[in-house]
Amino acid sequence: MISPALIWTIATNTVREAIRNKLLYVLLFFAIALILAGALLSSLSYVESERILQDIGLAAIRLFSVAIAIFVGVNLIHKEVDRRTVYTILSKPLSRTEFLLGKYLGLVLTIWMQMAVMVMAFAGVSLATGAPLTPTHAAAFFLTGIELALVVALATLFSSFTTPMLASFFSGGLWFVGHLTRDLRDLGAASDLETVQRLTALLHRVLPDLESFNLSIEAAHGLPVVASDLWLPLLYGGGYVAILLVAATALFGRRDFR
Amino acid sequence: MSRESREVIRVANIVKDFRPGFGLRRKRVLHGISFSVCEGEIFGFVGPNGAGKTTLLKVLMGLIRATAGEATILGCDVHETEFRRHIGFLPENPYFYDYLTGREILTFYAKLSGLPRAQRADRVALLLGWVGLSSAANARLRTYSKGMLQRVGIAQALVHDPSVVFLDEPMSGLDPIGRKEIRDLILRLRAEGKTVFMNTHILSDVEMVCDRVAIIVSGRITYEGAIEDFLEGDQRESDVVVAGLRPETGVQLEEKFGASLRGHGDRIEVRTADKNVNPMLGAILEAGGQVLSVTPHRVSLESIFLSAVEQDRADEKERER
Repeated sequence: MISPALIWTIATNTVREAIRNKLLYVLLFFAIALILAGALLSSLSYVESERILQDIGLAAIRLFSVAIAIFVGVNLIHKEVDRRTVYTILSKPLSRTEFLLGKYLGLVLTIWMQMAVMVMAFAGVSLATGAPLTPTHAAAFFLTGIELALVVALATLFSSFTTPMLASFFSGGLWFVGHLTRDLRDLGAASDLETVQRLTALLHRVLPDLESFNLSIEAAHGLPVVASDLWLPLLYGGGYVAILLVAATALFGRRDFR
Repeated sequence: MSRESREVIRVANIVKDFRPGFGLRRKRVLHGISFSVCEGEIFGFVGPNGAGKTTLLKVLMGLIRATAGEATILGCDVHETEFRRHIGFLPENPYFYDYLTGREILTFYAKLSGLPRAQRADRVALLLGWVGLSSAANARLRTYSKGMLQRVGIAQALVHDPSVVFLDEPMSGLDPIGRKEIRDLILRLRAEGKTVFMNTHILSDVEMVCDRVAIIVSGRITYEGAIEDFLEGDQRESDVVVAGLRPETGVQLEEKFGASLRGHGDRIEVRTADKNVNPMLGAILEAGGQVLSVTPHRVSLESIFLSAVEQDRADEKERER
Protein backbone atom coordinates (compact mmCIF):
# COMPACT_ATOMS: atom_id res chain seq x y z
CA MET A 1 0.00 0.00 0.00
CA ILE A 2 1.55 3.26 -1.17
CA SER A 3 1.31 6.17 1.29
CA PRO A 4 0.78 9.58 -0.38
CA ALA A 5 1.75 11.28 2.91
CA LEU A 6 5.18 9.61 2.92
CA ILE A 7 5.72 10.41 -0.76
CA TRP A 8 4.81 14.03 -0.02
CA THR A 9 7.26 14.16 2.93
CA ILE A 10 10.11 13.03 0.66
CA ALA A 11 8.95 15.34 -2.16
CA THR A 12 8.76 18.48 -0.01
CA ASN A 13 12.19 17.75 1.41
CA THR A 14 13.57 17.36 -2.13
CA VAL A 15 12.09 20.77 -3.02
CA ARG A 16 13.63 22.25 0.13
CA GLU A 17 17.04 20.83 -0.88
CA ALA A 18 16.72 22.51 -4.29
CA ILE A 19 15.66 25.83 -2.76
CA ARG A 20 18.78 25.75 -0.56
CA ASN A 21 21.07 24.75 -3.45
CA LYS A 22 22.86 27.88 -4.66
CA LEU A 23 24.01 26.27 -7.91
CA LEU A 24 20.44 26.07 -9.19
CA TYR A 25 20.06 29.81 -8.64
CA VAL A 26 23.09 30.34 -10.86
CA LEU A 27 21.50 28.29 -13.66
CA LEU A 28 18.23 30.15 -13.18
CA PHE A 29 20.08 33.46 -13.34
CA PHE A 30 21.68 32.53 -16.69
CA ALA A 31 18.31 31.42 -18.08
CA ILE A 32 16.69 34.72 -17.15
CA ALA A 33 19.73 36.60 -18.46
CA LEU A 34 19.31 34.85 -21.83
CA ILE A 35 15.59 35.70 -21.93
CA LEU A 36 16.47 39.35 -21.25
CA ALA A 37 19.25 39.20 -23.85
CA GLY A 38 16.57 38.14 -26.35
CA ALA A 39 15.10 41.62 -26.05
CA LEU A 40 18.48 43.12 -26.95
CA LEU A 41 19.08 40.75 -29.87
CA SER A 42 15.58 41.22 -31.28
CA SER A 43 16.06 45.01 -31.26
CA LEU A 44 18.94 44.55 -33.74
CA SER A 45 16.55 43.05 -36.28
CA TYR A 46 14.34 45.17 -38.53
CA VAL A 47 11.95 42.31 -39.26
CA GLU A 48 9.99 40.06 -36.94
CA SER A 49 11.81 41.32 -33.86
CA GLU A 50 8.97 40.13 -31.62
CA ARG A 51 9.18 36.62 -33.07
CA ILE A 52 12.97 36.53 -32.53
CA LEU A 53 12.49 37.70 -28.95
CA GLN A 54 9.98 34.94 -28.23
CA ASP A 55 11.92 32.25 -30.13
CA ILE A 56 14.96 32.97 -27.96
CA GLY A 57 12.85 33.10 -24.80
CA LEU A 58 11.02 29.84 -25.49
CA ALA A 59 14.27 28.08 -26.43
CA ALA A 60 16.02 29.40 -23.30
CA ILE A 61 13.22 28.17 -21.05
CA ARG A 62 13.20 24.73 -22.66
CA LEU A 63 16.99 24.24 -22.80
CA PHE A 64 17.75 25.50 -19.30
CA SER A 65 14.85 23.55 -17.80
CA VAL A 66 16.04 20.35 -19.49
CA ALA A 67 19.62 21.03 -18.39
CA ILE A 68 18.51 21.51 -14.77
CA ALA A 69 16.25 18.43 -14.98
CA ILE A 70 19.12 16.24 -16.20
CA PHE A 71 21.74 17.84 -13.96
CA VAL A 72 19.69 17.34 -10.79
CA GLY A 73 17.83 14.21 -11.94
CA VAL A 74 20.89 12.06 -12.59
CA ASN A 75 22.12 12.72 -9.05
CA LEU A 76 18.70 12.26 -7.51
CA ILE A 77 19.05 8.65 -6.34
CA HIS A 78 22.77 8.16 -6.84
CA LYS A 79 23.67 10.88 -4.33
CA GLU A 80 21.38 9.37 -1.69
CA VAL A 81 23.06 5.99 -2.06
CA ASP A 82 26.57 7.36 -2.41
CA ARG A 83 26.26 9.54 0.71
CA ARG A 84 24.33 6.79 2.51
CA THR A 85 21.48 9.11 3.50
CA VAL A 86 19.25 6.37 2.12
CA TYR A 87 20.26 4.03 4.99
CA THR A 88 18.43 5.91 7.72
CA ILE A 89 15.50 6.85 5.48
CA LEU A 90 14.80 3.29 4.33
CA SER A 91 15.04 2.03 7.92
CA LYS A 92 11.82 3.96 8.56
CA PRO A 93 8.40 2.54 7.62
CA LEU A 94 8.76 3.70 4.04
CA SER A 95 9.08 1.48 0.96
CA ARG A 96 11.70 2.00 -1.72
CA THR A 97 8.88 2.75 -4.17
CA GLU A 98 7.55 5.55 -1.94
CA PHE A 99 11.05 6.95 -1.58
CA LEU A 100 11.72 6.96 -5.32
CA LEU A 101 8.30 8.40 -6.18
CA GLY A 102 8.79 11.11 -3.55
CA LYS A 103 12.19 12.05 -4.97
CA TYR A 104 10.73 12.12 -8.48
CA LEU A 105 7.74 14.24 -7.49
CA GLY A 106 9.98 16.62 -5.54
CA LEU A 107 12.26 17.18 -8.51
CA VAL A 108 9.35 17.67 -10.92
CA LEU A 109 7.86 20.28 -8.58
CA THR A 110 11.25 21.97 -8.32
CA ILE A 111 11.69 22.09 -12.10
CA TRP A 112 8.15 23.41 -12.56
CA MET A 113 8.76 26.13 -9.96
CA GLN A 114 11.95 27.19 -11.72
CA MET A 115 10.18 27.10 -15.05
CA ALA A 116 7.44 29.31 -13.59
CA VAL A 117 10.09 31.91 -12.67
CA MET A 118 11.47 31.78 -16.23
CA VAL A 119 7.96 32.06 -17.69
CA MET A 120 7.33 35.15 -15.56
CA ALA A 121 10.57 36.68 -16.88
CA PHE A 122 9.48 35.78 -20.43
CA ALA A 123 6.04 37.33 -19.90
CA GLY A 124 7.61 40.44 -18.37
CA VAL A 125 9.98 40.94 -21.32
CA SER A 126 7.17 40.27 -23.83
CA LEU A 127 4.89 42.81 -22.16
CA ALA A 128 7.68 45.36 -21.91
CA THR A 129 8.54 45.07 -25.61
CA GLY A 130 4.94 44.80 -26.79
CA ALA A 131 5.30 41.24 -28.09
CA PRO A 132 1.97 39.40 -28.07
CA LEU A 133 1.09 36.84 -25.36
CA THR A 134 -1.59 34.39 -26.51
CA PRO A 135 -3.24 31.27 -25.03
CA THR A 136 -0.93 29.27 -27.33
CA HIS A 137 1.99 30.45 -25.18
CA ALA A 138 0.28 29.00 -22.12
CA ALA A 139 -0.32 25.74 -24.05
CA ALA A 140 3.35 25.65 -25.11
CA PHE A 141 4.54 26.11 -21.52
CA PHE A 142 2.08 23.46 -20.31
CA LEU A 143 3.48 20.91 -22.77
CA THR A 144 7.07 21.88 -21.95
CA GLY A 145 6.17 21.11 -18.32
CA ILE A 146 4.99 17.62 -19.37
CA GLU A 147 8.16 17.10 -21.41
CA LEU A 148 10.24 18.06 -18.37
CA ALA A 149 8.35 15.55 -16.22
CA LEU A 150 9.29 12.91 -18.80
CA VAL A 151 12.94 13.99 -18.88
CA VAL A 152 13.08 13.85 -15.06
CA ALA A 153 11.59 10.33 -15.20
CA LEU A 154 14.31 9.33 -17.69
CA ALA A 155 17.03 10.79 -15.43
CA THR A 156 15.48 9.11 -12.38
CA LEU A 157 15.43 5.75 -14.16
CA PHE A 158 19.11 5.98 -15.08
CA SER A 159 20.01 7.44 -11.69
CA SER A 160 18.47 4.40 -10.00
CA PHE A 161 21.09 2.00 -11.35
CA THR A 162 24.07 3.81 -12.85
CA THR A 163 26.57 6.61 -12.22
CA PRO A 164 25.65 10.29 -12.76
CA MET A 165 28.09 10.50 -15.69
CA LEU A 166 26.46 7.63 -17.59
CA ALA A 167 22.99 8.71 -16.52
CA SER A 168 23.66 12.23 -17.95
CA PHE A 169 24.90 10.70 -21.17
CA PHE A 170 21.87 8.39 -21.52
CA SER A 171 19.30 11.00 -20.46
CA GLY A 172 20.79 13.79 -22.60
CA GLY A 173 21.16 11.41 -25.55
CA LEU A 174 17.57 10.21 -25.29
CA TRP A 175 16.30 13.79 -25.01
CA PHE A 176 18.21 14.70 -28.16
CA VAL A 177 17.08 11.58 -30.04
CA GLY A 178 13.55 12.07 -28.69
CA HIS A 179 13.29 15.26 -30.73
CA LEU A 180 14.38 13.43 -33.89
CA THR A 181 12.29 10.23 -33.76
CA ARG A 182 9.43 11.80 -35.74
CA ASP A 183 11.80 12.92 -38.50
CA LEU A 184 13.45 9.51 -38.36
CA ARG A 185 10.09 7.80 -38.84
CA ASP A 186 9.17 10.07 -41.77
CA LEU A 187 12.58 9.52 -43.31
CA GLY A 188 12.26 5.74 -42.94
CA ALA A 189 8.74 5.78 -44.42
CA ALA A 190 10.20 7.32 -47.58
CA SER A 191 12.67 4.43 -47.90
CA ASP A 192 12.12 1.64 -50.43
CA LEU A 193 13.37 -0.96 -47.96
CA GLU A 194 10.66 -2.47 -45.80
CA THR A 195 13.19 -3.29 -43.05
CA VAL A 196 14.16 0.38 -42.75
CA GLN A 197 10.49 1.39 -42.68
CA ARG A 198 9.76 -1.11 -39.89
CA LEU A 199 12.87 -0.27 -37.90
CA THR A 200 12.28 3.50 -37.93
CA ALA A 201 8.59 2.99 -37.09
CA LEU A 202 9.61 0.74 -34.18
CA LEU A 203 12.16 3.28 -32.91
CA HIS A 204 9.50 5.99 -33.08
CA ARG A 205 7.16 3.83 -31.00
CA VAL A 206 9.71 2.77 -28.38
CA LEU A 207 11.73 5.96 -27.95
CA PRO A 208 10.01 9.05 -26.55
CA ASP A 209 8.57 11.35 -29.22
CA LEU A 210 9.42 14.65 -27.56
CA GLU A 211 8.28 16.73 -30.54
CA SER A 212 4.75 15.88 -29.34
CA PHE A 213 5.35 18.46 -26.61
CA ASN A 214 6.75 21.18 -28.85
CA LEU A 215 4.39 24.07 -29.60
CA SER A 216 7.17 26.65 -29.96
CA ILE A 217 6.41 27.42 -33.60
CA GLU A 218 2.67 27.75 -32.93
CA ALA A 219 3.38 30.01 -29.94
CA ALA A 220 5.90 32.22 -31.76
CA HIS A 221 3.52 32.68 -34.72
CA GLY A 222 0.37 32.99 -32.59
CA LEU A 223 -1.26 29.96 -34.26
CA PRO A 224 -4.34 28.56 -32.51
CA VAL A 225 -4.30 25.13 -30.79
CA VAL A 226 -7.19 22.76 -30.17
CA ALA A 227 -7.89 20.72 -27.02
CA SER A 228 -6.51 17.50 -28.49
CA ASP A 229 -3.15 19.25 -28.98
CA LEU A 230 -2.96 19.25 -25.19
CA TRP A 231 -4.66 16.15 -23.88
CA LEU A 232 -3.13 13.71 -26.39
CA PRO A 233 0.46 14.68 -25.44
CA LEU A 234 -0.64 14.73 -21.79
CA LEU A 235 -1.86 11.12 -22.03
CA TYR A 236 1.22 10.09 -24.00
CA GLY A 237 3.59 11.79 -21.53
CA GLY A 238 1.74 10.45 -18.50
CA GLY A 239 1.84 6.89 -19.85
CA TYR A 240 5.52 7.16 -20.73
CA VAL A 241 6.38 8.57 -17.28
CA ALA A 242 4.42 5.74 -15.61
CA ILE A 243 6.35 3.09 -17.56
CA LEU A 244 9.70 4.73 -16.76
CA LEU A 245 8.87 5.00 -13.04
CA VAL A 246 7.69 1.37 -12.87
CA ALA A 247 11.03 0.34 -14.42
CA ALA A 248 12.94 2.66 -12.04
CA THR A 249 11.19 1.31 -8.93
CA ALA A 250 11.76 -2.29 -10.09
CA LEU A 251 15.49 -1.64 -10.55
CA PHE A 252 15.82 0.38 -7.35
CA GLY A 253 13.87 -2.23 -5.38
CA ARG A 254 16.35 -4.96 -6.31
CA ARG A 255 19.49 -3.00 -5.45
CA ASP A 256 21.84 -3.96 -2.65
CA PHE A 257 23.14 -0.92 -0.76
CA ARG A 258 26.66 -2.15 0.02
CA MET B 1 17.82 -12.25 31.06
CA SER B 2 15.58 -15.27 30.72
CA ARG B 3 15.83 -17.07 27.36
CA GLU B 4 12.11 -17.78 27.69
CA SER B 5 11.48 -14.07 26.96
CA ARG B 6 9.89 -13.18 23.65
CA GLU B 7 12.22 -13.57 20.68
CA VAL B 8 12.50 -10.15 19.03
CA ILE B 9 15.26 -10.72 16.46
CA ARG B 10 15.73 -14.09 14.77
CA VAL B 11 18.52 -14.75 12.31
CA ALA B 12 18.58 -18.23 10.77
CA ASN B 13 21.37 -19.48 8.49
CA ILE B 14 21.94 -16.15 6.78
CA VAL B 15 24.34 -16.42 3.86
CA LYS B 16 25.46 -13.45 1.78
CA ASP B 17 27.54 -13.58 -1.37
CA PHE B 18 28.88 -10.53 -3.15
CA ARG B 19 30.31 -10.31 -6.63
CA PRO B 20 33.37 -8.04 -6.27
CA GLY B 21 33.07 -6.90 -9.89
CA PHE B 22 31.67 -7.80 -13.27
CA GLY B 23 32.85 -11.24 -14.34
CA LEU B 24 34.57 -11.95 -11.02
CA ARG B 25 33.83 -14.92 -8.78
CA ARG B 26 31.30 -14.47 -6.01
CA LYS B 27 32.74 -13.98 -2.55
CA ARG B 28 30.91 -15.29 0.52
CA VAL B 29 30.93 -12.74 3.34
CA LEU B 30 28.38 -14.35 5.68
CA HIS B 31 28.52 -18.11 6.20
CA GLY B 32 25.20 -19.25 7.69
CA ILE B 33 24.83 -16.82 10.60
CA SER B 34 22.24 -17.82 13.22
CA PHE B 35 21.29 -16.30 16.57
CA SER B 36 18.36 -14.76 18.32
CA VAL B 37 17.86 -11.77 20.59
CA CYS B 38 15.16 -11.65 23.24
CA GLU B 39 13.00 -8.77 24.36
CA GLY B 40 14.77 -6.32 26.67
CA GLU B 41 18.28 -7.63 25.94
CA ILE B 42 21.28 -5.56 24.99
CA PHE B 43 23.03 -7.73 22.45
CA GLY B 44 26.60 -7.00 21.41
CA PHE B 45 27.66 -8.13 17.95
CA VAL B 46 31.43 -8.02 18.09
CA GLY B 47 34.02 -8.58 15.42
CA PRO B 48 37.13 -7.15 13.76
CA ASN B 49 36.85 -4.81 10.78
CA GLY B 50 35.59 -6.65 7.70
CA ALA B 51 34.14 -9.54 9.70
CA GLY B 52 30.62 -9.00 8.34
CA LYS B 53 28.98 -7.08 11.21
CA THR B 54 27.68 -4.21 9.07
CA THR B 55 26.68 -6.58 6.26
CA LEU B 56 24.47 -8.53 8.67
CA LEU B 57 22.99 -5.31 10.01
CA LYS B 58 22.19 -4.22 6.45
CA VAL B 59 20.44 -7.54 5.88
CA LEU B 60 18.37 -6.90 9.02
CA MET B 61 17.53 -3.36 7.82
CA GLY B 62 16.48 -4.64 4.38
CA LEU B 63 19.25 -2.65 2.70
CA ILE B 64 20.73 -5.77 1.14
CA ARG B 65 19.14 -9.13 0.39
CA ALA B 66 20.51 -12.31 1.89
CA THR B 67 21.60 -14.97 -0.59
CA ALA B 68 20.03 -17.60 1.67
CA GLY B 69 18.50 -17.85 5.12
CA GLU B 70 15.80 -16.05 6.97
CA ALA B 71 15.75 -13.00 9.22
CA THR B 72 12.79 -11.68 11.17
CA ILE B 73 12.31 -8.75 13.53
CA LEU B 74 9.26 -8.72 15.81
CA GLY B 75 8.06 -11.76 13.83
CA CYS B 76 8.06 -9.88 10.50
CA ASP B 77 10.25 -10.52 7.47
CA VAL B 78 12.94 -7.84 7.30
CA HIS B 79 11.79 -6.69 3.85
CA GLU B 80 8.37 -5.65 5.10
CA THR B 81 8.03 -1.97 5.94
CA GLU B 82 5.22 -1.59 8.46
CA PHE B 83 7.07 -3.16 11.43
CA ARG B 84 9.79 -0.51 11.07
CA ARG B 85 7.56 1.83 13.06
CA HIS B 86 8.91 -0.14 16.01
CA ILE B 87 12.60 -0.15 15.15
CA GLY B 88 15.33 2.49 15.15
CA PHE B 89 18.62 2.31 13.26
CA LEU B 90 21.89 4.18 13.60
CA PRO B 91 24.26 3.38 10.70
CA GLU B 92 28.04 3.54 11.02
CA ASN B 93 29.35 7.09 10.35
CA PRO B 94 25.87 8.39 9.53
CA TYR B 95 25.41 11.11 6.94
CA PHE B 96 22.38 13.35 6.83
CA TYR B 97 20.99 16.10 4.65
CA ASP B 98 23.41 18.83 5.66
CA TYR B 99 21.17 21.64 4.37
CA LEU B 100 18.72 20.92 7.23
CA THR B 101 19.03 22.02 10.83
CA GLY B 102 19.13 19.55 13.71
CA ARG B 103 15.49 20.26 14.50
CA GLU B 104 14.40 19.98 10.84
CA ILE B 105 16.14 16.63 10.28
CA LEU B 106 14.57 15.09 13.40
CA THR B 107 11.15 16.42 12.38
CA PHE B 108 11.67 14.90 8.92
CA TYR B 109 12.49 11.48 10.42
CA ALA B 110 9.59 11.79 12.86
CA LYS B 111 7.23 12.35 9.91
CA LEU B 112 8.66 9.35 8.05
CA SER B 113 8.26 7.24 11.19
CA GLY B 114 4.57 8.09 11.34
CA LEU B 115 4.78 10.05 14.59
CA PRO B 116 1.50 12.00 14.95
CA ARG B 117 1.81 15.73 14.23
CA ALA B 118 0.67 16.67 17.75
CA GLN B 119 3.60 14.79 19.33
CA ARG B 120 6.34 15.71 16.88
CA ALA B 121 7.60 19.05 18.22
CA ASP B 122 7.73 17.85 21.85
CA ARG B 123 9.38 14.56 20.96
CA VAL B 124 12.00 16.28 18.77
CA ALA B 125 12.78 18.78 21.56
CA LEU B 126 13.06 15.92 24.07
CA LEU B 127 15.45 13.95 21.87
CA LEU B 128 17.60 17.01 21.16
CA GLY B 129 17.92 17.40 24.92
CA TRP B 130 18.76 13.73 25.46
CA VAL B 131 21.67 13.85 23.04
CA GLY B 132 22.85 17.30 24.18
CA LEU B 133 22.03 19.21 21.00
CA SER B 134 19.36 21.62 22.24
CA SER B 135 21.64 24.64 21.83
CA ALA B 136 22.59 23.62 18.25
CA ALA B 137 19.03 22.68 17.22
CA ASN B 138 18.66 25.55 14.76
CA ALA B 139 22.11 25.28 13.16
CA ARG B 140 22.51 23.54 9.79
CA LEU B 141 24.05 20.07 9.97
CA ARG B 142 26.92 21.15 7.70
CA THR B 143 28.24 23.13 10.68
CA TYR B 144 28.12 20.08 13.02
CA SER B 145 31.19 18.15 14.15
CA LYS B 146 31.47 14.38 13.63
CA GLY B 147 30.48 13.76 17.23
CA MET B 148 27.41 16.00 16.87
CA LEU B 149 26.34 14.11 13.73
CA GLN B 150 26.68 10.86 15.67
CA ARG B 151 24.33 12.32 18.29
CA VAL B 152 21.87 13.34 15.57
CA GLY B 153 22.08 9.74 14.32
CA ILE B 154 21.19 8.40 17.74
CA ALA B 155 18.36 10.92 18.12
CA GLN B 156 16.80 9.99 14.74
CA ALA B 157 16.98 6.31 15.69
CA LEU B 158 14.97 7.02 18.84
CA VAL B 159 12.69 9.84 17.68
CA HIS B 160 9.63 7.58 17.23
CA ASP B 161 10.20 5.73 20.51
CA PRO B 162 10.99 2.33 18.93
CA SER B 163 10.98 -0.90 20.91
CA VAL B 164 14.02 -2.36 19.12
CA VAL B 165 17.11 -0.27 18.40
CA PHE B 166 19.98 -1.22 16.08
CA LEU B 167 23.23 0.67 16.59
CA ASP B 168 26.24 0.29 14.30
CA GLU B 169 29.35 1.47 16.12
CA PRO B 170 27.39 3.93 18.32
CA MET B 171 30.52 5.25 20.08
CA SER B 172 32.30 6.09 16.83
CA GLY B 173 33.52 9.68 16.69
CA LEU B 174 32.63 10.46 20.30
CA ASP B 175 34.97 11.75 22.99
CA PRO B 176 35.13 9.94 26.37
CA ILE B 177 32.33 12.10 27.79
CA GLY B 178 30.16 11.48 24.73
CA ARG B 179 30.83 7.73 24.98
CA LYS B 180 29.76 7.68 28.58
CA GLU B 181 26.59 9.61 27.73
CA ILE B 182 25.72 7.13 24.99
CA ARG B 183 26.44 4.19 27.32
CA ASP B 184 24.09 5.75 29.86
CA LEU B 185 21.51 6.25 27.12
CA ILE B 186 21.75 2.57 26.15
CA LEU B 187 21.33 1.56 29.78
CA ARG B 188 18.31 3.88 29.98
CA LEU B 189 16.84 2.09 26.96
CA ARG B 190 17.28 -1.23 28.76
CA ALA B 191 15.60 0.19 31.84
CA GLU B 192 12.66 1.15 29.61
CA GLY B 193 12.45 -2.46 28.42
CA LYS B 194 13.74 -1.83 24.91
CA THR B 195 15.85 -4.30 22.98
CA VAL B 196 19.21 -3.05 21.70
CA PHE B 197 21.36 -4.70 19.03
CA MET B 198 24.80 -3.13 18.98
CA ASN B 199 27.59 -3.66 16.45
CA THR B 200 30.93 -2.69 17.87
CA HIS B 201 34.57 -3.52 18.16
CA ILE B 202 35.08 -1.59 21.41
CA LEU B 203 35.12 -4.49 23.85
CA SER B 204 35.08 -2.43 27.04
CA ASP B 205 31.74 -0.92 25.97
CA VAL B 206 30.33 -4.39 25.37
CA GLU B 207 31.45 -5.59 28.80
CA MET B 208 29.87 -2.55 30.42
CA VAL B 209 26.44 -2.54 28.77
CA CYS B 210 25.67 -5.83 27.01
CA ASP B 211 23.71 -8.79 28.38
CA ARG B 212 24.80 -11.17 25.66
CA VAL B 213 27.42 -11.14 22.98
CA ALA B 214 28.21 -12.90 19.72
CA ILE B 215 31.67 -12.76 18.16
CA ILE B 216 31.83 -12.83 14.37
CA VAL B 217 35.09 -13.49 12.55
CA SER B 218 35.31 -13.79 8.75
CA GLY B 219 31.55 -14.13 8.41
CA ARG B 220 31.19 -16.92 10.99
CA ILE B 221 30.00 -16.73 14.59
CA THR B 222 32.73 -18.16 16.75
CA TYR B 223 31.28 -17.46 20.18
CA GLU B 224 27.89 -16.62 21.55
CA GLY B 225 26.86 -16.36 25.15
CA ALA B 226 25.81 -14.29 28.11
CA ILE B 227 28.37 -11.77 29.33
CA GLU B 228 28.31 -13.13 32.89
CA ASP B 229 29.18 -16.62 31.60
CA PHE B 230 32.73 -15.57 31.04
CA LEU B 231 33.00 -12.52 33.25
CA GLU B 232 32.10 -14.56 36.33
CA GLY B 233 32.56 -18.16 35.36
CA ASP B 234 36.07 -18.20 34.01
CA GLN B 235 38.21 -16.82 36.76
CA ARG B 236 41.59 -18.48 36.29
CA GLU B 237 44.11 -17.05 38.76
CA SER B 238 44.64 -14.44 41.48
CA ASP B 239 47.46 -12.13 42.47
CA VAL B 240 48.04 -11.44 46.16
CA VAL B 241 50.43 -8.66 47.15
CA VAL B 242 52.00 -9.31 50.52
CA ALA B 243 54.35 -7.41 52.82
CA GLY B 244 56.52 -8.83 55.58
CA LEU B 245 56.66 -12.34 54.13
CA ARG B 246 59.46 -14.51 55.52
CA PRO B 247 61.49 -16.61 53.01
CA GLU B 248 60.46 -19.92 54.59
CA THR B 249 56.77 -18.93 54.33
CA GLY B 250 57.32 -18.20 50.64
CA VAL B 251 58.71 -21.71 50.10
CA GLN B 252 55.73 -23.12 51.98
CA LEU B 253 53.29 -21.23 49.73
CA GLU B 254 55.05 -22.57 46.63
CA GLU B 255 54.93 -26.14 47.88
CA LYS B 256 51.49 -26.19 49.45
CA PHE B 257 49.47 -23.92 47.12
CA GLY B 258 51.48 -24.12 43.88
CA ALA B 259 52.01 -20.37 44.09
CA SER B 260 54.66 -18.45 42.21
CA LEU B 261 56.42 -15.55 43.89
CA ARG B 262 58.04 -12.52 42.37
CA GLY B 263 59.15 -9.13 43.54
CA HIS B 264 61.84 -7.92 45.87
CA GLY B 265 62.26 -6.13 49.14
CA ASP B 266 59.30 -6.13 51.44
CA ARG B 267 56.56 -6.35 48.75
CA ILE B 268 56.05 -9.76 47.18
CA GLU B 269 53.46 -10.67 44.55
CA VAL B 270 52.11 -14.18 45.02
CA ARG B 271 50.24 -15.65 42.05
CA THR B 272 48.04 -18.72 42.52
CA ALA B 273 45.93 -20.68 40.07
CA ASP B 274 43.65 -21.77 42.90
CA LYS B 275 40.21 -20.17 42.61
CA ASN B 276 39.78 -20.20 46.38
CA VAL B 277 42.52 -18.03 47.86
CA ASN B 278 41.27 -18.10 51.47
CA PRO B 279 43.49 -20.98 52.72
CA MET B 280 46.55 -19.29 51.26
CA LEU B 281 45.60 -15.92 52.79
CA GLY B 282 45.17 -17.69 56.16
CA ALA B 283 48.66 -19.17 55.89
CA ILE B 284 50.17 -15.78 55.05
CA LEU B 285 48.46 -14.06 57.98
CA GLU B 286 49.37 -16.88 60.37
CA ALA B 287 53.01 -16.49 59.39
CA GLY B 288 52.86 -12.77 60.24
CA GLY B 289 52.58 -11.50 56.69
CA GLN B 290 50.40 -8.57 55.73
CA VAL B 291 48.01 -8.85 52.76
CA LEU B 292 48.07 -5.59 50.79
CA SER B 293 45.77 -6.56 47.90
CA VAL B 294 44.02 -9.49 46.23
CA THR B 295 43.32 -9.24 42.45
CA PRO B 296 41.32 -12.01 40.79
CA HIS B 297 42.10 -12.40 37.04
CA ARG B 298 39.47 -13.70 34.69
CA VAL B 299 39.24 -14.53 31.02
CA SER B 300 38.30 -11.24 29.37
CA LEU B 301 36.15 -10.69 26.32
CA GLU B 302 39.31 -9.40 24.71
CA SER B 303 41.14 -12.70 25.19
CA ILE B 304 38.18 -14.66 23.76
CA PHE B 305 38.01 -12.21 20.87
CA LEU B 306 41.73 -12.39 20.16
CA SER B 307 41.84 -16.18 20.33
CA ALA B 308 38.87 -16.35 17.91
CA VAL B 309 40.73 -14.08 15.46
CA GLU B 310 43.94 -16.10 15.82
CA GLN B 311 42.06 -19.36 15.33
CA ASP B 312 40.48 -17.92 12.18
CA ARG B 313 43.88 -16.92 10.82
CA ALA B 314 45.19 -20.44 11.50
CA ASP B 315 42.13 -21.94 9.76
CA GLU B 316 42.65 -19.59 6.81
CA LYS B 317 46.27 -20.73 6.44
CA GLU B 318 45.13 -24.35 6.66
CA ARG B 319 42.55 -23.77 3.92
CA GLU B 320 45.16 -22.08 1.71
CA ARG B 321 47.34 -25.19 2.00
